[in-house]
Amino acid sequence: MKIGFIGLGIMGRPMALNLLKGCHQVTVWARRAESMQPLLDAGAKGAGSPTEAAQGNELVISMVADAPDVAEVMRGAAQGAAPGLVAVDMSTIAPAAARQIGVDLAATGVDFMDAPVSGGEVGAIAGTLSIMAGGSEAAFARAKPAFECMGKNIVHVGACGAGQVAKAANQIVTGMGVLAVAEAFAFAAKNGVDRSKVREALLGGFAYSRILENHGQRMLDRNFKPGFKSWMHEKDLNIVMQTAHELGLCLPGSAATAQMFNAMVGSGLGEEDSIAVLKLLERLSGQE
Amino acid sequence: MKVGFIGLGAMGRPMALHLQRAGHDLHVWARRPERAAGLPATLCATPAELGHRCEVVFTIITSNADVETVALGPDGLSDGMAPGSVLIDCSTIAPDVARKIAAKLGERGIHMLDAPVSGGAQGAIDATLAIMAGGDAVVLERVRPLLECLGQRIVHIGPNGAGQVAKACNQMIMVAAIEAAAEALRLAAASGVDCAKVKQALAGGSAASRVLDVMGERMVRRDFAAGIEARLHHKDFGLVLEAARKSGVPVPLTATVAQQLNALMAQGWGRDDTASLLRVLELT
Repeated sequence: MKIGFIGLGIMGRPMALNLLKGCHQVTVWARRAESMQPLLDAGAKGAGSPTEAAQGNELVISMVADAPDVAEVMRGAAQGAAPGLVAVDMSTIAPAAARQIGVDLAATGVDFMDAPVSGGEVGAIAGTLSIMAGGSEAAFARAKPAFECMGKNIVHVGACGAGQVAKAANQIVTGMGVLAVAEAFAFAAKNGVDRSKVREALLGGFAYSRILENHGQRMLDRNFKPGFKSWMHEKDLNIVMQTAHELGLCLPGSAATAQMFNAMVGSGLGEEDSIAVLKLLERLSGQE
Repeated sequence: MKVGFIGLGAMGRPMALHLQRAGHDLHVWARRPERAAGLPATLCATPAELGHRCEVVFTIITSNADVETVALGPDGLSDGMAPGSVLIDCSTIAPDVARKIAAKLGERGIHMLDAPVSGGAQGAIDATLAIMAGGDAVVLERVRPLLECLGQRIVHIGPNGAGQVAKACNQMIMVAAIEAAAEALRLAAASGVDCAKVKQALAGGSAASRVLDVMGERMVRRDFAAGIEARLHHKDFGLVLEAARKSGVPVPLTATVAQQLNALMAQGWGRDDTASLLRVLELT
């Protein structure tokens, strides 16, 4: 398939590379020209603008930072769209913003789908991302071969915006999950109990989770290298809290968690992995 | 002095009347002109026209976007106000939006003060509002006699935006206190104790506060008619949390109270008084 790919950051670059490996013809565009070079070396075509990245393609994919960026590159792509173009945004943005972009693009005849991912840089490189898609059946069918090059667990969640709702829900669970494991470890340590033994014991029971297993191990190793940077988790939790505010939805646990991530960013832990919330707990309870 | 006024709601209308009664030539603009009915004022067709006719213009409207549109939009105040004239915005909006509007107006030589108020509709009627001003101190002194028609406690907090920061602080403390009063009275009721007696006893001690007096009384009487519409506090908490996030300052209690306000909104009580936080607790 002929695919345009916009946004070649930490996530976008390996995702586009996996599309090339899957024998798709890929045209790339990125704001910074130097980000395009590794893809050009691997056989991609370079475009001069989002409009050019869409021209002559059946599918255009964006992986950029925030909602205004998505809206801007998708407006550009729509100008280059052949009839029937499917546009897929894989960034994490607010559900309401995704729905609005869907409405705007539909007016220009472009079928828009939100398909945010979970799994981080490791998953992007390995092609094992979880992909949560929202949009029409037709758009999902068109995009599926591309999704299969980039991810493993691919779910068509519902209509436009539903993918972002699933991603926000994912961030609620992972945000609170990381905080829960960190609090359990702080609790064990303050009681003079070996946290690695606690983790080992818990892994066999109902408290088992991938976060307890993976993030928990990294907490024990005090390996705070990202992974998933805590400022990004904070940004995603802000999407959750703003959406809850707009809807009139009471989310006390998410609110408390969002404030912990807010404190991490404010106290200089933003560039570390979100498991650095453990450091914040230790600071608050004098466990440093 | 020719004084303009935009925003003739529960707060704005009595404030405008105070200015008129002090002998000022009152001009108004309202999105819905019927809101100006019965006011001894000249009705203007657009904010620009009002701005053109007045030396000082007051605004007290709801959202960031509303203030921006009235000040800077097409036919907005900036199209009419003369260099040297003053916009006093009494709305509660985000500090960075206040700073942006002040900068844009400044390019045209128009002064702006952010001057949000606290004291509610009763404070507006009694002219006892607390006024928190941000902007140039010299400009504030020029308009101080006008502000004194509205309230006695007028504090210059700092440059533009500083008034809005102070208002955000005010809202954090006040609504958290309302939630605390609601939780205390809920616990008293659930324990089979007379809420009115508890409130009366507390009024004499360290927990005494204006919030306990006014909002506690409403809770005891189960009078949930606004007062201050809870939807406005809900809106303000959105602003506070956004400001906290931009500063990287954790506000765990504010965030929790915000969730109670979300639940209140979900119950459809947004136009009732914030004392309805008690009813949120009674849902569980």
